[in-house]
Amino acid sequence: MLERRVLVTNRLGLHARAAARLVRTASAYQSTIKLARTDGSVVADAKSILSVLVLAAARGTELLLTVAGIDEEAALAALCELFERKLGEERD
Amino acid sequence: MSRRVKSERAEQFWRGVTVAEGLAQGRVLRLHGGATKSVYRATLAKSDIEREVQRFKAAVELARNQLLGIKERAELALGAEHAYIFEAHLLMLEDRKLLDEVEVYIRRERANADWAVRVAADRLLAVYAEIKDDYLRERSSDIEDVTRRLLDALGGAPRERRLTRDAVIVAEELMPSAAAELDFSHVRAVATDAGGWTSHTAIIARGLGIPAVVGLRELYRHARTGDEIIVDAIRGEVILHPAERTAARCREEIAGMRPAERSALKFAHAREPLRTLDGVEIVLRANVELPAEYEGVRRYGARGVGLYRTEFLLAQRGRMPTEDEQCAAYAEVAALAGADGAKVRLFDLGGEKIGADDGSTERNPALGLRAIRYCLRREDVLRTQVRAILRAAAGGRLELVLPMISDVAEVRRARRIIEEERAGLRRAGHEAGDVQIGAMIEVPAAVLMADKLARTVDFFSLGTNDLVQYLLAVDRGNDDVADWFRTLHPAVLQSIKRTLDAAEGAGIPVNVCGEMAATPAYAVILLGLGARDLSMTSASIPRVRRTLAGVDAARARVIADECLACETADEAEELVRVRLGTEWAGLFLPGSLPAPKPRP
Repeated sequence: MLERRVLVTNRLGLHARAAARLVRTASAYQSTIKLARTDGSVVADAKSILSVLVLAAARGTELLLTVAGIDEEAALAALCELFERKLGEERD
Repeated sequence: MSRRVKSERAEQFWRGVTVAEGLAQGRVLRLHGGATKSVYRATLAKSDIEREVQRFKAAVELARNQLLGIKERAELALGAEHAYIFEAHLLMLEDRKLLDEVEVYIRRERANADWAVRVAADRLLAVYAEIKDDYLRERSSDIEDVTRRLLDALGGAPRERRLTRDAVIVAEELMPSAAAELDFSHVRAVATDAGGWTSHTAIIARGLGIPAVVGLRELYRHARTGDEIIVDAIRGEVILHPAERTAARCREEIAGMRPAERSALKFAHAREPLRTLDGVEIVLRANVELPAEYEGVRRYGARGVGLYRTEFLLAQRGRMPTEDEQCAAYAEVAALAGADGAKVRLFDLGGEKIGADDGSTERNPALGLRAIRYCLRREDVLRTQVRAILRAAAGGRLELVLPMISDVAEVRRARRIIEEERAGLRRAGHEAGDVQIGAMIEVPAAVLMADKLARTVDFFSLGTNDLVQYLLAVDRGNDDVADWFRTLHPAVLQSIKRTLDAAEGAGIPVNVCGEMAATPAYAVILLGLGARDLSMTSASIPRVRRTLAGVDAARARVIADECLACETADEAEELVRVRLGTEWAGLFLPGSLPAPKPRP
C-alpha cells in the first residue's frame, strides 16, 4: 500500500470536470484507490465520481491518496502527476 | 402574479428575467416531471429478481448510449467547455456506488428496478444536501438528471420528443441534457422557473434566437401541456391562458415586429440594404462566438460577421488549437460571412481564461496581461493564430482585429509580426490572403489617441461594453456597482463621438460592436453620433433593423447632440426616454427605453 499527500491547486477545486478526469484516470488501474480529507472526515473511492464530489475539495485542500494493489506504483505516479498538472484544468 | 379564482382558464401573469429576447405565442409543452417523477413500489416474485436486475442493466446501457450521443452533439454545438457536464453524467451512470446499491436493493428488498433507482438516488441526494457548498448542491441537479434518464430508460419511454410547431417549453429548470436533446428548430420559446443568464438554456436560446424568460416562480406547477401561453421576452413577462383580447394584441405585435421572419420567402427582405427614413444606409453585422450561433447569422440576414470571438476555439478543446484547426474554423466563418466578410478578433485572453502558470491569479485581471498584451507576450500563440487567419483569408474575406489597443506601438509590433508571417507563408509556398487590420477601441487611452491610431490601421472596432467598463471604472460583473454602469453617460457618448470623428478624418470605417448596438434606443443614439456600421448578437438584428428603418438620421443627430451636452447620465437617459418616446412613439415599446428615475 502506498500513501501520498496531494494538494488541490486548480482554481475551481475538485469540481465536476476535474473530478471526471480524476475518476477516469483512477479507473484505468486495478488497485483500490482512496482519497481522504486529512482530518479523516470523508474518505472517497477515487473510481466513483459520486464519492469524489462529496470530498468538496476546494483549491488549497490537502488530500491523502492511498493506493493498494498490483499496479499501485503506476497508479500512484499517474494520479500524482494529474494533481501536479492541476487536474488538467489550467491550460496554456 | 394575479390569479382569478372563478375560471380555471383565467389569464395568469408572471414576471421573470429575459435571457433571450423576442415575443412568441404557442402551446405549453411541459418538460420533465416535477422534482420527483412518481415511481411505484412493486414486490417481485423471487423468480423475477434476476430478470429485473437484467432489465436495470439494459436501462443503464440505453441511458449511457443516449448520453454518449448527447455529449457528442453538445461538443459540436457548444464546445467541450459546456459539454463536460455530460462526461460527469456518464461517470455517474457508470458509478459502482450507484449501480451496486441499486442491484443490492433489488435483490434484498425484491423491489422493482424503478423503485430501487429512486431510493438509491434519494439516499445520494440526502448526502449532498448535507454539504454546505453551493457548487455541490448544484451537482444534486446532475444526479437528478441522471436519475430521471434512468427512470425513463426503465419505462421504455422514448426520449425523442415530438414537438408541435408551436411548442413553448415550460420546465422547472431545463436540464442541460434535455436542452441538448431538444429539436430547437421547433421550439417557439422557453420559460423556466429557475435558471440564469449564463445557463445552458440561455446560451442555446440566444444562439438560436429563441425567446426565453427564466426565474418564473411556480409557472411550471400552474401550466399544463397544451395550455395557451405567451412568452414576452421583451418585457420579461409570461401570460398563461391569455384572454382573447390579449392574444389578439400579441398576434398583432408579432405580425408588426418581425414580418421578415415569418417565412423563408420573406427572409429575402432582410438582405436588402437598410436605410433610415432620410436614406442613410446602415450595415448590421453579427457578433459570433459559438457554432450554435451560425444558423442565426443566416436566419436574420446579417451583413457578414462584425466580430468573431476566437476564444471559443480554446474553450472548446480545453487547449490551444493548432494552426490547422484554427485555419479550418476561420475558413468556416469566412464561408458563413460570404462577400461581406468576417472580422476575426485575436484571442482576447487573460486572467481567468488562461490561468497563470504558477497557479497565482492576477489581482486585477481586467487590467492585467490580457488581449493584445498577452498576444505580444506569447508571440508563439500570436504567430500561430496570424498564420491561420492569413491562410484562411486566401479562400474568403477576413479582417483581423487587435483587441484592447492602448498605444500605437502595439499596432506597429503586431503589424510587423503579421507581415513577417505573411512573408514566411509565401516563402513556404502557402497562399496568404490580403487581410485588413483593425484596432478595438475599448480603452480610454485609445479614444484619446484615436486620430493617431486611425492612421495606423484600416478600420476601428468600437467595443462599447469594455469601453463603458474602463471609462467609468465599473466592473460590469459586479452587481454592487451596476448602478454606475451607464451606457448613456455623457463621457461614453463623447468618447464614441470622438472615435467616430477621428476615423472619419482619416477616412477609415468604424464598426460598433457590443450590446449597446443591440438595444434599439441606443442604436438610434449611435446613429445620431455618426455610426453607420453596427454589429450585434444576430437575434437582435431584426429588432434593430426595424427601429433604424423607422427613424431619421438627421433627427437622431439632433437628439444625440443634446445628449452629448448633458451634465449627468440621468439627464441623458431622461432625454432619450422622452425624445425617442415622443418622436417615434410607435417604434419604442415602454420597456425598450431607459426607465424613469425615481426622484429622491
